[in-house]
Amino acid sequence: MSRFVGQSVQRREDPRFLTGQGTYVDDVQLKGMLHAAFLRSDVARGRLVSVNAERAKAHPGVVAVFLSGDINPGALEMRISSAAGSDMPGPPLRPLADSDVRFVGEPIAVVVAENRYLAEDAVDLLEVEYEPQSPLLDDLSAIAEEGVELVHPELGSNVAATMAVPNNDAKELLQSLPYSVSLELSQQRQTHVPMECRGIVVDWLAADNRIEVYASTQNPHEFRLQTAQLLGLPENSVRIISNDVGGGFGQKVYLSRDEMCIILASRLVQSPIKWTEDRRENLLGSNSARRDDILVSMAADDDGRIQAAGLQHFEECGAFPEMGTGGAGVAVAMYFPGPYRVPIVDWSTTSVWSNTVGRQAYRGPWVAETYARERVVDELATQMGMDPLEFRRRNVIQSEDLPHQHPTGPVLTDVSCSQTLEQAAEIIGYDSFRAEQEEARKSGRYKGLGLSLYVEPSAFGFGALGIEAATVRVLPNGTVNVTLGTGNHGQGLETTMAQVVADELGLDFDDVVVRDGDTDSSPYGAGTIGSRSAVIAANAAVNASQEVRLKVLQIAAEMLEASVDDLTIEDSKVRVVGVPDRGVTIREVARTAHNSPEALPSGLPPGLEATARFQAPPVTYSNACHACLLEVDTTTGIVNIERYVVSEDCGNMINPMVVEGQIAGGVAQGIGGALLENMVYDTDGNPLATSFLDYLLPTAADVPDIEYGHIVTESAVPGGYKGMAEGGAIGAPAAVANGVADALRPFGVKIRDLPLTPSYILGLLEPELLDR
Amino acid sequence: MNEWFSSYDRQASRGLGVEVKPGPFTYYRPESISEISGLLAEIGENAKLLAGGQSLVPMMSMRLVQTENVIDINRVAEIQGIERQENFLRVGAATTQATVESDSVVGEAVPLLTQALPLVGHFQIRNRGTIGGSIAHADAASELPAVALALDAELHIAGSKKDRSLPAEEFFEGLWTTALEADELLTHIDFPIWEGNSGFALEEIAPRSGDFALAGAAVGLKLAEDSTISQAAISLFGVASTPVRAGVAETALRGESPTPEELSDIAKLALEGIEVRTDIHANAAYRRRVSVALVEKALTKALGEARG
Amino acid sequence: MVKIEFEVNGRQRSGDVESRLTLADYLREVCGLTGTHLGCEHGVCGACTVLLDGEAVRSCLLFAVQAEGSSVTTIEGLSNPGELSHIQEAFRAHHGLQCGFCTPGFIVTAHALLSKNPSPTDEEILDGLSGNLCRCTGYQGIVHAVRSVAVQEPSSSVGEER
Repeated sequence: MSRFVGQSVQRREDPRFLTGQGTYVDDVQLKGMLHAAFLRSDVARGRLVSVNAERAKAHPGVVAVFLSGDINPGALEMRISSAAGSDMPGPPLRPLADSDVRFVGEPIAVVVAENRYLAEDAVDLLEVEYEPQSPLLDDLSAIAEEGVELVHPELGSNVAATMAVPNNDAKELLQSLPYSVSLELSQQRQTHVPMECRGIVVDWLAADNRIEVYASTQNPHEFRLQTAQLLGLPENSVRIISNDVGGGFGQKVYLSRDEMCIILASRLVQSPIKWTEDRRENLLGSNSARRDDILVSMAADDDGRIQAAGLQHFEECGAFPEMGTGGAGVAVAMYFPGPYRVPIVDWSTTSVWSNTVGRQAYRGPWVAETYARERVVDELATQMGMDPLEFRRRNVIQSEDLPHQHPTGPVLTDVSCSQTLEQAAEIIGYDSFRAEQEEARKSGRYKGLGLSLYVEPSAFGFGALGIEAATVRVLPNGTVNVTLGTGNHGQGLETTMAQVVADELGLDFDDVVVRDGDTDSSPYGAGTIGSRSAVIAANAAVNASQEVRLKVLQIAAEMLEASVDDLTIEDSKVRVVGVPDRGVTIREVARTAHNSPEALPSGLPPGLEATARFQAPPVTYSNACHACLLEVDTTTGIVNIERYVVSEDCGNMINPMVVEGQIAGGVAQGIGGALLENMVYDTDGNPLATSFLDYLLPTAADVPDIEYGHIVTESAVPGGYKGMAEGGAIGAPAAVANGVADALRPFGVKIRDLPLTPSYILGLLEPELLDR
Repeated sequence: MNEWFSSYDRQASRGLGVEVKPGPFTYYRPESISEISGLLAEIGENAKLLAGGQSLVPMMSMRLVQTENVIDINRVAEIQGIERQENFLRVGAATTQATVESDSVVGEAVPLLTQALPLVGHFQIRNRGTIGGSIAHADAASELPAVALALDAELHIAGSKKDRSLPAEEFFEGLWTTALEADELLTHIDFPIWEGNSGFALEEIAPRSGDFALAGAAVGLKLAEDSTISQAAISLFGVASTPVRAGVAETALRGESPTPEELSDIAKLALEGIEVRTDIHANAAYRRRVSVALVEKALTKALGEARG
Repeated sequence: MVKIEFEVNGRQRSGDVESRLTLADYLREVCGLTGTHLGCEHGVCGACTVLLDGEAVRSCLLFAVQAEGSSVTTIEGLSNPGELSHIQEAFRAHHGLQCGFCTPGFIVTAHALLSKNPSPTDEEILDGLSGNLCRCTGYQGIVHAVRSVAVQEPSSSVGEER
């Protein structure tokens, strides 16, 4: 039955991308289309006194200049998500800044002109007056204190959210046990950097009271709902068309305020408007991620078994974060024990507002938990004089321990943490490495091996997020159209979902075409986010296919005068089992279904299609182990990653090639986060890395050939799938950091910050080189 | 490193435009040096010369540079080409980096150039970027100004009123600032050819390959008949606001036939008298520390090559 | 406005353009060849790579007027409709793309690299690809694809480095 699922089928979507025939938002051209550009605040905090648009409005080619007074009243409802209640706690949302500004990059005005060049000329002519105030940023615990200046005066506090589950027994053990380590760690602000920036073309069809939006989004239906809410339009008057999307990683999940401004502006002009975010805007004005301060502790008994752990976590959520009041603090705490048996945990998490761009979920938003845990495990092992691999072996959850409930809540089933640990260690040659490391040290060369073991929660089953829909339609000629409520943006869903449907229907892969992204034709679903497609979308496709398959068999049974139970479908043909020359093609069945209703079994309606949904369990866990072999040049601080191994278990793989691609992309982002990327703000609240010359992404020369091992432990979900696509980014930073720590072990340095730049590493070795 | 790209005038009464489309300008495409000079005499104060554009165009797109006039000098045959003379190699300022990189005459006559070029950006950049453009742009962290300085290159300049030439050490005045006046054009660069037993090396540290260097050293050593060092050039880049010669270390090398330990000690003198800079990628202390290591590495290689 | 005339994908184009119009925007907006993508517009990401007289260049760093009299080849000009070049096939076979946005830039770069140097060493491949950014693939499939097309010479060190 499984002809395609499990195979590395080449992707159907590739030819158009390879030949430049993809359609991304900036490729869309509508008649009479105008172009928008934003004026953005260059003050992080202060009163917005005035904006003078006289000269800008008079500039040739300028159609309109909109300020907050023009745009904001049109926003009937602005919510962080369509499901969020209007009483959801959070900062006051506004499309354009009105009387004050709260971060550098906040949009203040929109210019609409005949082309982008002219729009930018006009932006240059806008005159803004501010009364700057001192911004609140950087020192999170200081900002969180009572009685300090406020980022959002309306909210009375700079603490966006806080939660703690103290555990005195844990505190006691962390103090009293001889083997106990406490680490101060900090993760720098990073940003998603999809290669395609955000963008939108809005076409307000006044005569129909309809709006059509070409969007670069991971979640077309959500985009539709939020647009409808914003404008006070019924949802069926809003169409979102998301063709090809050049990456998202979480930055394109909800309707952002910049997009809201353009949508609102479109109602004020007679023509379609296009806004393409440029890269500088993307780096400083699109929500970013990851800024965390962590105090992590762990204590073990004399046998190296973890007795207690502590996690005090601060996260910076900027001024207008995606999720209203914060980031992933609670998730960080929940998943912190990860793949180990940790009996008790004392934890707290606090999200703090600041005058910086807002925080947004970015591939593995709770990565701080793996980073903190894997680092403290290595340091505790070192304190005990135990090899980090051995320490992990003593604490990793074994199959016989399952199901295992963490003190922080999550219950793990179907994971294979121990197996991935062993497989990764074997592939990288862990045992022989220690001897190699010793040899190298004798000649002044410092090699290190870092492990990172983690569990990845995926396919969350909350609310709409846990449900996906698929419509499977068999056309009269026997070929199939499938539409999904997903928002494919590189995951290969046109291929993987076709593999699934083709197998279910016994068809050829080439006979199944899968599409998503157009809300007029796709069923309502929750997009492509949170590693949900394999578990939820595939099963929706399966459910719809099974309904169709049953009907195919019923019709064929009538045509063949056989019983449904005696039939099988293979190679697009329905045959009687054991009688190979008796059969009808799917095409013949489809023809009958559509054109010859009289030939159908009595009671069976004509047509051959189904829409079905799948509802996921609360969460599905995959797991993996990363092993990173590197060398640190102690004269320059340069890190060279020589080998990188990932042993992963995501249950059954629909397309192994696609799985490995997802791992690789995540690993590269994690390497970037560990060594290169840093969205720095200066003390005045100016983001400093606003071009690719300063925000450094890894290139082909920075990512080694990744070696993979696969373990298959089926999930309880039909198909045995698990979501896994964020894992690469979750595991990698700790693997690299542990590798560097391992390399520099002889020097006894304390690694606190990321990224591990050459300057930082050399500063660790020679403290007089450091600024602080 | 590129403060321009990460800074903006916050005193200004306009907000942050984050532009990527350049402002309007009048475009000229002269075909001779005299035509360029004529244009510069007329509009030089309000014009930018466009060579490879790999540095200028991004700045124009981001509106960090605004100009009313752009003079495209890529079609002027007189300022292109590579010509080996007796004691020097003459390179037209508008010769692309790619052309020079793959030229075997260059490899033989001025090996330091051939060593430096693969480190300049990426090959797509070098297909358009020019030798003269890079030198005239004078980024403190780029390789070619440092090579010109190391080799005591002679820079030929055409002006609207007169032509002149300058040694490299008088050409670089500050960050992105050279001795070129508004009405002047760099036409040729003469790179001295080092005869006899010489060796060259260029070592740098960059966050990723092709990035501007955090620190770098371009080195040339020549040996006399008795195998002592007769000529020594150490040119540091990325550490100060211009490329700089490590004069104290150079003096210490002359007349010597250093052992590895002695080379190491001399390398430590490399930063004497040099004011080292700090930016978001590295602080001054780091730059000092690694420059010494880079100088040592480069000297070792160059000496090895010179000794044959 | 400046008069221009040059060849794009084998077809003569002429017209009047503003001098500040970049070659990338000219190709996208005027020629309707939207395969050349804008990823940064400051010359770092390589998504806008085209061939100018056979050489790979960043079209966001050129003004259209500078292409006067030249021959420009974009991604659309590298294969016939409905067909894939050798290199494009290799990218597909090795999963060298996911969202596809950086892909045209990589394909053009790979074409340029391999036409100049059909048997690059592994180091030359990595160096040659390091001027293009990708955020989805981690470069694995891209590097494997180029390696697979690189002509293996007996003395070549492809694969030796890793």
